[in-house]
Amino acid sequence: MSSSSFGTVLESITRQRGVRASLIVSESDGLIIDANLRFGQDGDRIAALAASLYRKARLSAGAAWLGAVAFLQLDAERGRICVAGGRGDLIIVVVAEPAANVGLIRVELLKAVDQLE
Amino acid sequence: MSTTDEIRQWSEELARDPASLVFLQLAEALRRQGQTDVALKIAARGIERHPSNADAHDLMARIAVDRGDFDRAISEWETVLRVASDHLGAMKGLGYISFQQGRLDDAERYLSGAAAQGAGDDVSTALDMVRRSSAEMTATVDPQESTDPKWLFADLLVEDQQTALLLDTNGYVLGGLYLDPDGHDLAQEIGAQLSGISDEVVRAMRHLDIGDWRSIVFETEAAVVAMAPAPHATLLVVATSRATPLGLMRRLLDRCAARAAGWLDAVREP
Repeated sequence: MSSSSFGTVLESITRQRGVRASLIVSESDGLIIDANLRFGQDGDRIAALAASLYRKARLSAGAAWLGAVAFLQLDAERGRICVAGGRGDLIIVVVAEPAANVGLIRVELLKAVDQLE
Repeated sequence: MSTTDEIRQWSEELARDPASLVFLQLAEALRRQGQTDVALKIAARGIERHPSNADAHDLMARIAVDRGDFDRAISEWETVLRVASDHLGAMKGLGYISFQQGRLDDAERYLSGAAAQGAGDDVSTALDMVRRSSAEMTATVDPQESTDPKWLFADLLVEDQQTALLLDTNGYVLGGLYLDPDGHDLAQEIGAQLSGISDEVVRAMRHLDIGDWRSIVFETEAAVVAMAPAPHATLLVVATSRATPLGLMRRLLDRCAARAAGWLDAVREP
């Protein structure tokens, strides 16, 4: 998939209400492949931490015989982080407002992951 | 010989002779590796060729359990018992699912049948759990008043494959249980593996300006798992089948959190 195609994927996610940032990240090294960030968002930091968290969840779920992780959602006082991954190394990360419609974001993320593969 | 070599050898053997029963070993090995899609296809083709083979249906049932498809598992194990009424694996499997679904009479019937067939200590342990659970339900004991913390969440977990654990800061189990299809309580192992995720969350929270974490939910091939910080630095873990809607999962997490908070307050009182 070309860089501009990544941009199309991210734009469809960022259009969702309450999304502050969307990033395509390499899970193995936490580096950004492409990103769509609102002003003030530290993309490198988000990418590294989200990739690390997703990797930990994937490894722990595997060790607990639960199979591969497809979607992860972290809720905090002032924001939400959603991560979706498929069979490859790329994951899609979204940072959203606490009031964002996470159901819609989840649907868009899972659709977008299919497009990455 | 490594499992990979065995899988290759069995695949070649099955390609040479599609009617071979080696599909049982091949699909089982793939299932154990977590390749349930491939295992399912191989088992389904095997059943087409050997529709009366009880072990083939038993294998399909275990694959279905791994995929969280309990209706399919029940159907396959019921087929097994029609073909071989004394099949130990089918009785254990149906006993486990019945227990998870709160059908305690059915669970006791199947597990008693398995015990009568000479099943091991794991079945005896599971049967004891079912009987104690039945007795507690009959006596309508409030689980918060139950002395065994294994049953802390029992009355809240009413649908298939719902599980809840309360862990301390070291990942040790304080309450709840996690039964596998053979009736083993895997709470300690599952708790230890999953508790590491909360450490990673706490680390991430220190660097992301979004406040304290409230919950993390992740969807896997076999289950949906939710974790949340609980009072006194404990961690609540709730797992359900993938069939459980995510909104319902959140409500279950809230109910279990309230139960955990009440229980922790009670046990900490002098």
